Amino acid sequence: MKIRHVLVSTVGMCVLLSGCAQPPADQINAAEQAVKDAQQSGAATYVANDYAKVEGLLTAMKTEVAEQDGKFALLRDYGKAEQLAAATKTEAEAVKVAAVKKMEEAKFAATQAHQAAQASVASAMDLVAKAPAGKDRAALESIKTDAVALKASLNDVQMMLDKTDYLGAQTKAKAIQEKADAVSREIETALAKIGKGKAVAKKK
Amino acid sequence: MFQKNPSVEFSLWCAGALALCGSLTACVETVPPDMVEAIETLDRDLLQLRAAEVAPGEYASFAHQWVRLRTRVEAEEDTIRWPWESNDLKEALRQLQAEGARTVAHLAEQQEAERRAAVRQLTEVEERVQTLGVQVGAIDSRLILAEKPVETDLLLKQARAFYEQGRYEQSLHASDRASRHLAAQLALLQHELGRYASPDRIAQWQRSARETIEWSKTHRTTAIIISKAERSLTLYRTGQKVISYSVRLGFNGIKEKRYQGDGATPEGRYHVAAKRGRGQTQYYRALLLDYPNQEDRRRFLTDRKKGKIPAFRDIGGQIEIHGVDNELMAQTLGCVMLENQHMAVLFDRVDSGTPVTIVGALHADNSVARALANLPNHRDEI
Repeated sequence: MKIRHVLVSTVGMCVLLSGCAQPPADQINAAEQAVKDAQQSGAATYVANDYAKVEGLLTAMKTEVAEQDGKFALLRDYGKAEQLAAATKTEAEAVKVAAVKKMEEAKFAATQAHQAAQASVASAMDLVAKAPAGKDRAALESIKTDAVALKASLNDVQMMLDKTDYLGAQTKAKAIQEKADAVSREIETALAKIGKGKAVAKKK
Repeated sequence: MFQKNPSVEFSLWCAGALALCGSLTACVETVPPDMVEAIETLDRDLLQLRAAEVAPGEYASFAHQWVRLRTRVEAEEDTIRWPWESNDLKEALRQLQAEGARTVAHLAEQQEAERRAAVRQLTEVEERVQTLGVQVGAIDSRLILAEKPVETDLLLKQARAFYEQGRYEQSLHASDRASRHLAAQLALLQHELGRYASPDRIAQWQRSARETIEWSKTHRTTAIIISKAERSLTLYRTGQKVISYSVRLGFNGIKEKRYQGDGATPEGRYHVAAKRGRGQTQYYRALLLDYPNQEDRRRFLTDRKKGKIPAFRDIGGQIEIHGVDNELMAQTLGCVMLENQHMAVLFDRVDSGTPVTIVGALHADNSVARALANLPNHRDEI
């Protein structure tokens, strides 16, 4: 009787202990989802350092889980893994909030840059229309070609904005604005030197 | 029997207390704070270097060990040990610090290599674009490239901006795209102007010129040869060279003429169709040519059928050899322009019907062929 009691107790204890040695699946899934949400919110682009930290925590959590999984069932302890999962989830959620904010700031900056580029290109096109034929027809035609190309490039910026590539859009918009301003300065210099041009007699 | 001596007892007691104090001051903290600070600095450095992204395995190992050790650090922060006691936590922190420092050094080297690659490629493409600009400017062929130089320039500006922001991968990507745009420009120039470097085409032009000169010899009269690459007009009489003048061409003169308004000066065999003297032209004096000829019309119709010429474009006309209006323009709309004193001489020496042969070049070593040879075709050729 006593022996039976001891045996039953021992088996029961083993069952209990092995039940405790299970990885915290819900917490792990929650942590992974939080990191995925952060990634999808653009964290890797807009808050890269913080996102890298979260990725590091996730990897540390997975490593800890793998280590415990490799142990004998009775010796497993997922307490650390649970702590890491909780920390990962908390950090990832904070990173997501920061990323969304940064992305909105980047979107605003990109939109502003796009508008500034549009204004510069419009100004350049106005000047092109007033540019005199002058002595150097090739230079005038080159300027016209450049202005038209810049106008077409604004479409690329819009496409980047539509794809939420705000950093790329801002960089391109600034490049367009810089070029358009250079074209405007070139025409203004020519206007100052040459004055109004004459109409050309015949088309060739 | 020994008797208790209070002063000896007191001395012994003081010595013992002193010995204890001495031992206690020799005790050391389990967790040296400077070591913890150093490891935290390494962690920040690894994040800065984006270690989780570029070296995930190494960073995972570091992060995992640091998380574990940090828990022990927090637990044993206020403990002290005897100097002779072993300190496995300190040893583990030392090893982690060494491992972290190695990873930081490795990643910093990697990032520096990426930076060098980005600046090298960016500088190389910028130099190639500059070389192209010089060669294109030398032969007035900028318009052949249409909008492509702007697209390339915008990509280079983006590449430079990404580089200055430390985004080396994006800089490399942008400068790589710029390089491909540049290659497209070079291909376009070769397509449009390659005939200036073609021995067969040069020979064909030389043949046309020879036949025109021979005609002037046979018919004992004048003929004109115009070379676009050399920008020269030569008057022949009875097969002998009389005089040569520099000329200016259309604003896209070096190109083969395709349609009205393209700014190109045509190539082919023409004749003076009419002479326009003072008061009959705004350009001092002018010799109207019979452009387009039959060959021009045939080519125009073929190109239009192939879709190379927009349907709304006409073949053009009114190509002249003329003088200057009020001021000497840098280019014409497609005509051949001389200074008025030269136009005066030419006008008096030719008649209606005088053959005028316009060729691309008369020599293999011409300005356009030289410019094409100097183009930055390949990276290794810089």
